[in-house]
Amino acid sequence: MSRKQSYLAVIWIALITVAAGTLLITLANASPIEAYQMFFRGIFGNITNFCEVFVKATPLILTGLGCAVAFKTGFFNIGAEGQFYMGAVAATSVALGLTGVPGPLRILLAMAAGFICGGLWALIAAVFKARFGISEIIVTIMLNYIAINFVGIAVRTFLMDPAGSVPQSARIGSEAAFKLLMPPTRLNMGFIIAIAAVILVWVLMEKTTAGYELKVVGSNRRGAKCMGISVMKNTILSAFLSGGLAGMAGVIEILGIQKKLLEGISSDCGYTAVLVALLASNHPIGVFFSAVGLAAMQVGANSMQRQMGVPSAIVNILVGMVVLLVLGKRIFQFKSKKKA
Amino acid sequence: MGILEMKHISKAFSGVYANEDISLSVEKGEIHALLGENGAGKTTLMNILFGIYSADEGEIFWKGEKVHFSSPKAAIESGIGMVHQHFSLVQKLSVLDNIILGMDTGFKALDRKQAREKILNLAGKYGLKVNPDALINHLSVGQQQRVEILKALYRDVDLLILDEPTGVLTPSETEHFFGVLRRLKEEGYAIIIITHRMSEIMSISDRVTILRDGKKIIDLVTAETNPSELSNYMIGRQLKSGFVMENKASDEETLCLKHVSIIKARQPEFLSDICLDIKKGEILGIAGVDGNGQKELAEAIAGVRKITEGTIWFEGKDITKTTVKQRFEMGISYVSDDRHADGLVLDMTLEDNVMLRDYDRQPYSKYSFLNEKLIREKAEKAIDEYKIKTSGTSKGDTVVRLMSGGNQQKVIIAREVSDSAKLVIASQPTRGLDIGATEFVRQVLMDHRNKGGSVLLISADLEEIVALSDRIAVMFGGRIMGVLDREHINMEKIGLMMGGITEEEIKE
Repeated sequence: MSRKQSYLAVIWIALITVAAGTLLITLANASPIEAYQMFFRGIFGNITNFCEVFVKATPLILTGLGCAVAFKTGFFNIGAEGQFYMGAVAATSVALGLTGVPGPLRILLAMAAGFICGGLWALIAAVFKARFGISEIIVTIMLNYIAINFVGIAVRTFLMDPAGSVPQSARIGSEAAFKLLMPPTRLNMGFIIAIAAVILVWVLMEKTTAGYELKVVGSNRRGAKCMGISVMKNTILSAFLSGGLAGMAGVIEILGIQKKLLEGISSDCGYTAVLVALLASNHPIGVFFSAVGLAAMQVGANSMQRQMGVPSAIVNILVGMVVLLVLGKRIFQFKSKKKA
Repeated sequence: MGILEMKHISKAFSGVYANEDISLSVEKGEIHALLGENGAGKTTLMNILFGIYSADEGEIFWKGEKVHFSSPKAAIESGIGMVHQHFSLVQKLSVLDNIILGMDTGFKALDRKQAREKILNLAGKYGLKVNPDALINHLSVGQQQRVEILKALYRDVDLLILDEPTGVLTPSETEHFFGVLRRLKEEGYAIIIITHRMSEIMSISDRVTILRDGKKIIDLVTAETNPSELSNYMIGRQLKSGFVMENKASDEETLCLKHVSIIKARQPEFLSDICLDIKKGEILGIAGVDGNGQKELAEAIAGVRKITEGTIWFEGKDITKTTVKQRFEMGISYVSDDRHADGLVLDMTLEDNVMLRDYDRQPYSKYSFLNEKLIREKAEKAIDEYKIKTSGTSKGDTVVRLMSGGNQQKVIIAREVSDSAKLVIASQPTRGLDIGATEFVRQVLMDHRNKGGSVLLISADLEEIVALSDRIAVMFGGRIMGVLDREHINMEKIGLMMGGITEEEIKE
């Protein structure tokens, strides 16, 4: 696809999406123009809302990066959701458990624990793949169920707040939580960590021998083997890195936003991550922009729902459509094909 | 007026003519050979006839009527059958099911009994002996070919197109196959055979059409021509005859295999008790029909495949248990027969592919960071030195998938055949390349030999083996049937060994 055709396809996708959005809003008995106003006011209306976009984008960036790294290595990790929760459980345990350790150090330990636990969770799938030849897609999805329900058990038993009766953990003290960057907005240190992760992953993939090996293995396993590059080692490395990044998203959600563990805090970002990576063609910088874009659509839709009662589910429908159109963007070549 | 008349056919791909004003006429009861080097346009012409491509210009008359086949299905229904070089058979289905696969029975149920009768009938009539209930993956390549021909005959075709049909056959299978073709011809079938083997054209065909660079050069009656005339028309210039071997190989051994076997339970032996040695400054050729253990041998030496018995020695050291990387560092490099799967990462750039062996070595990387400047320089040096054609201005950034086969092979050669390579394993190094690229690759291997390096040359192309090798070993069924010196090369002997007869048996 030439550059010109690519741009043309993007315009087509935008037009179709807006048209479908207009139709859906009309079906919800609202004025499309007003709804779009609310949509954009929700995003750009004030500084709090605008920052909320980046708050929502943070876990998407990290889980999206995780998926991008895995996909580039030919490891189809659909388990960011589970790895997110394992990271969250680990971070909560460290933050609540090691009360003797000073705050900043405890934060670092919580981050390390979250990264490692998320990474190990993904590693299980890599071992199943390497050892028994079982599809990592199936295994990571199964591991999602286990992790999600493990959180359910954790918040009702060993991590349950002894002072309360709701299924959630005790509150993490402010000394072990992330600092807010621009109060009163919820923007916190986590966003900085996400940006740092984007840069680190980009450097790793583009500038180092390790990234080169990962890409070779992802692009041609058989060729890697013939050239003496270990497929096993790189699959395991990519799985660990990918799971670790998703785990880090869980850490940030706990230490930066919720300050306690409870069910459903991922808002399915582990699944949306797959879309983020797809839209970004697995490029780290692209992940940043596609995550922010999807987060902005969410924030805008929420405002639309609050102000006018237009169901925010419309945005989920549109996101699904955009992804399908991007994947099938070759259909927009129809014009040039006839000319050729 | 022949049963098939193709008139002034032209077809261009992105501005380059693959076929230019080609006319072809085939009679009933005729075996018509289509001769030409790789890339001369033979396959394109047949694909146009068979409805895979449509011609930009020109007309096709079939049985006197002007036709245009929009798909292979339409061509088959009109009575044209084609057996491709790579068979289109379903491995896990029986011969019978493969033959009737895709036949439209309307609303009637499959009648396997009637089909079986028809198949056995055809098989008996033309000597295409094959068990209808055998599964395809249990058949030899020669038997699979019979199934492909039966598949065409079953559909009542009048014209049979055979694309390089003998490339995968042993000499005795080829003889049998020619018997089948002669019987078909007597029955009035028209046959087009695409090939580049002179001897076969001389023995089987009635007429020859020669293509070169997408154009028709001439039509000849086989009985009135000879191989050297054919060769001249096909190549348009004299082939380099053999290579100058500047000095004799030394007596010093580079590589030595002792009783090497790869045996897996419930599978035929991949390699069986191989004993071989290669000297410094020597090219050892491995001749044999494809699929007789050559690939396994190459991979065993390169370290890609584990051997189950025996030992491999390199420069006096036992390397049996070492990895691919360790062996490369010692000086064993590998040009695989499967460029796309084994030798390149197609979706990465030329630069990345040139670096596949050296990316983690100084000076190309330091503290695990890649030195992009040096890598670029190395790639540009390879482009200049090997005259690699890249697309436009992108040079080292050209994605390898977009390059031609010859240029892709040059990338591999540039990477593998360096001064630090003491042994180059070159498996089918010129397969699918045009004449220029082929000669280039051969020259590189010969230069490497003359500089004192060793080469293990595996090729199904006997001409190539004979032109380049100091000694020739012949493989059959995972075994070495015998080793011949350059001075004592005897084509008949090699042919017999390729067909599974050992050197000792020949002597008796």
